[in-house]
Amino acid sequence: MSLIRKLLKPFMIVLPHVFRNSETVAYPTERPIFPERYRGRHLLYFDKCISCNTCARVCPCNSIELVDVEGREGKYPQIDYQTCSLCGYCVEFCPKNALEFTEFVEFSEYDRSKLIYSPERLTTVPDLKEVLPMLKWRTEVYHTETAMKYRKVKEV
Amino acid sequence: MSEPEIIPDLMRVSWGPQHPMSGQTRILLDIDGEKVHRIIADLGFTHRGIEKILENRTFLKGIVPIERMVMADTPNIGIGYVMAIEEALGVEVPERANWIRSLICEMARINSHLYAFGLQVEATGYFPAVFLWTTVDRAWIVDLFAELTGARWSLNFFLPGGVFKDLPDGFEKKVIEGVHYLRRRFQKYWEAMVENYTFEMRCNDVAVLKPEDAIRLGATGPVIRGSGIPMDVRRDEPYAAYGDLDFKVITEDACDSMARTKVRFHEIGQALNMMEQVANEIPSGPVRTKVPLFARAKAGEYLSRVETSRGELGVHMFTDGGMNPYRVKITSPSLRNMYVFERLAELDEILMADIPVVVNSIDPWYLDSDR
Amino acid sequence: MNPITALMKIFYICAYVPTDTIVEWISDMFNLSIDVLLHLPQYTMEFLTVNIKPILQIVVLPGLLWVIVYAVIAVWFERKLLARAMLRVGPYYCGGRAGWLQLIADFMKLFFKEIIIPRDVNWLFFLTMPVLLPSVPALAVILIPFDANWVLWDIGGMGLPMFFAIAGIAPLIPIFAGWASNNKYSFIGAWRVAYMYISAEIPMVICGASVAIMAGSFNLVDIVEAQQNMWFFIPQFIGFVIFFLGVFIESERTPFDMPGAETELVLGWRTEYSGVLYGFVMFTEYVMLQAWALLFITLYLGGYNGPVLFGAVTASHIFWLILKFVILVTIVIFSRVVFPRLRMDQMLKLGWYYLTPLAILNLIFTLALKMWGVY
Repeated sequence: MSLIRKLLKPFMIVLPHVFRNSETVAYPTERPIFPERYRGRHLLYFDKCISCNTCARVCPCNSIELVDVEGREGKYPQIDYQTCSLCGYCVEFCPKNALEFTEFVEFSEYDRSKLIYSPERLTTVPDLKEVLPMLKWRTEVYHTETAMKYRKVKEV
Repeated sequence: MSEPEIIPDLMRVSWGPQHPMSGQTRILLDIDGEKVHRIIADLGFTHRGIEKILENRTFLKGIVPIERMVMADTPNIGIGYVMAIEEALGVEVPERANWIRSLICEMARINSHLYAFGLQVEATGYFPAVFLWTTVDRAWIVDLFAELTGARWSLNFFLPGGVFKDLPDGFEKKVIEGVHYLRRRFQKYWEAMVENYTFEMRCNDVAVLKPEDAIRLGATGPVIRGSGIPMDVRRDEPYAAYGDLDFKVITEDACDSMARTKVRFHEIGQALNMMEQVANEIPSGPVRTKVPLFARAKAGEYLSRVETSRGELGVHMFTDGGMNPYRVKITSPSLRNMYVFERLAELDEILMADIPVVVNSIDPWYLDSDR
Repeated sequence: MNPITALMKIFYICAYVPTDTIVEWISDMFNLSIDVLLHLPQYTMEFLTVNIKPILQIVVLPGLLWVIVYAVIAVWFERKLLARAMLRVGPYYCGGRAGWLQLIADFMKLFFKEIIIPRDVNWLFFLTMPVLLPSVPALAVILIPFDANWVLWDIGGMGLPMFFAIAGIAPLIPIFAGWASNNKYSFIGAWRVAYMYISAEIPMVICGASVAIMAGSFNLVDIVEAQQNMWFFIPQFIGFVIFFLGVFIESERTPFDMPGAETELVLGWRTEYSGVLYGFVMFTEYVMLQAWALLFITLYLGGYNGPVLFGAVTASHIFWLILKFVILVTIVIFSRVVFPRLRMDQMLKLGWYYLTPLAILNLIFTLALKMWGVY
């Protein structure tokens, strides 16, 4: 009878899911590997920047301001991550490719003024182990016939 | 804003913002026992003034805030605005860019419909199992987006003149692999949930919207296609390579909540077919024509219509020769469907237990209806 | 009493009761208490060895520890099982990668939270109903026989009607609680409870009566003993289905949990409870499930009958009952993730249109079987 089939079939479909592995990434002990084009934090190269102000003019959130850096001539971009939406215009339209994206997204701070990244701070990206002390594995996703799973790829 | 008076002898319940299932809205119900006599939708909780923001941004910069109107299918809204800008600036888009735009729009449509389907199943019984399975499947699409554009949800990949970057190597193969995987999952969803006896009991014959009422009240999207009328902007005014892709406009004749859910379900299947076709047949060529960063447009009125996953979105732009548009008016599909939802209490008998089912079968996104 | 009357009373006592009797009385008391204190360990041991079985029954099984430990394990099991079905992990950090201490942590957190009492509630009902809630079904649990002579409350010939009498009190408590909360959502949840329980209990009582007719007595031990050859779900297959649905309905599990339907009414009649009262209210769902599941197994699935293991009759009977109980509870918990919930009018239609005539049919069928001596 179709009634019995409609009552029992859902059971039979939900039940195999109990025996599959969970599709979760146990952050902060595991962290996925982000793809190449991923838009995370910026990385600035001092010697490539020519202070042309394009990035500040094209930013839709008005997050970039060019400031002085001690020990260097010219002005360099300072990015305010309270308003930055990681849209990618500054990286795309910089004529000298002085700004780049990294895969670092752990922005949390205790103090709001620390979220305004000065140009010196933009030139270096901290190591993941310093920010996530519990990190042990980097994972990536792979597809099997019936499921999408995460596997541990690299030990940190 | 003053609300209408309570009908005498009825109880006014606020299916309101502090509620596990309501989203960012407040819906006032005048109920008598279980029967709902009147529905009043009190929208406006998430109004951000996007139309005003767009007046203060140049054409290129304006794409970023407008994409945040609906977070589930951002490209479908971005493409509406970008097409209006291209008409204003008089820019020609290369063919490969159009095909890539269609691919991204269809992937976003799958994303949004999976989310809506998961919410619908959750609304009938609060078992988040299906909602979490659709989240897992959407994670696959979202990972593809991250590979292609760099962001997972707010893509920001379209600009006047084409798309930002070309497809990376090996992308077509991944798309086809994912299409096969999702097709197998759909068979499971169909058998486990849509043919589930209790789900049918909850969704059949609930909130029937007849075709003439749907046209009179101005429904759009899967709401009107679920009443049997084939209205789809991709078929009526093809944009961005939809003229070359072959797909069917899905309609259902039953006009109830189950029909609307099935329309969304089958549209995912059509989107998968389109993705496979794009991955196999995409033409080669440039992906971007050069447009100056701070371009000025001729003064005039420009109009563009696109089909988002919730219905038809219209962008009506007035320019006056400057770098910013003078005024942008956006018609959002969710607002039109919420108007239909308010009138449903008079058209058909709705019980209080049906309200989550009906709301999620109409599938509004409140940031979209409030802009 | 004023001081003058008191003084006169003392004067009379001292005048009429001779002094040496008082001294004797005091020394007798003294000796007696020293005697009791010296022999106290011996008295305790005698008390325990004579009454070991009732104490074990009260404290462990089916008494205090059984109810509480079952609830703790059941909540943990539900969270883990449902999380697996949803491809998640469930409680993970509390208690070493399986999360079994999560329940204790949750209960302690609830214990320390403030009990918010809204302004216009009827505080007498509001505060006392959650305390009554788990107690009533726990009272019904102690009627169930775990072995032929392991029944905590051995009423004898009144077991089954007493269970239904206690179960009849159970719907009143959520109704009072929901009405006393002075909240529209609670009010709707309260009368949904009323509709649901009334429409479900009538077919179940009729089915219980048919089982009693088939077994020949109301005593729960006799009902189990009568199923030694064939469990009752075979001749009473209609009653089996009705009572199985009844287990879901009476314990307010999906697909019948519309009194506390979170998508429409934020938790229904339980909305206004916070703190320890919320803990009680959530705890009661599992105690109700336990009471009705045990009754279901006793009536239809053979109770504690099963092959005897290793010659220990009592222990193997208890083992078989617990095994059947665990399987049934797993099925009930798992169907939460498979089925959506029914609407109120569909539930009423089910109860009055389908279940009640089927229950009467079952009764007639049983009477026919009994009259023609088949069983």
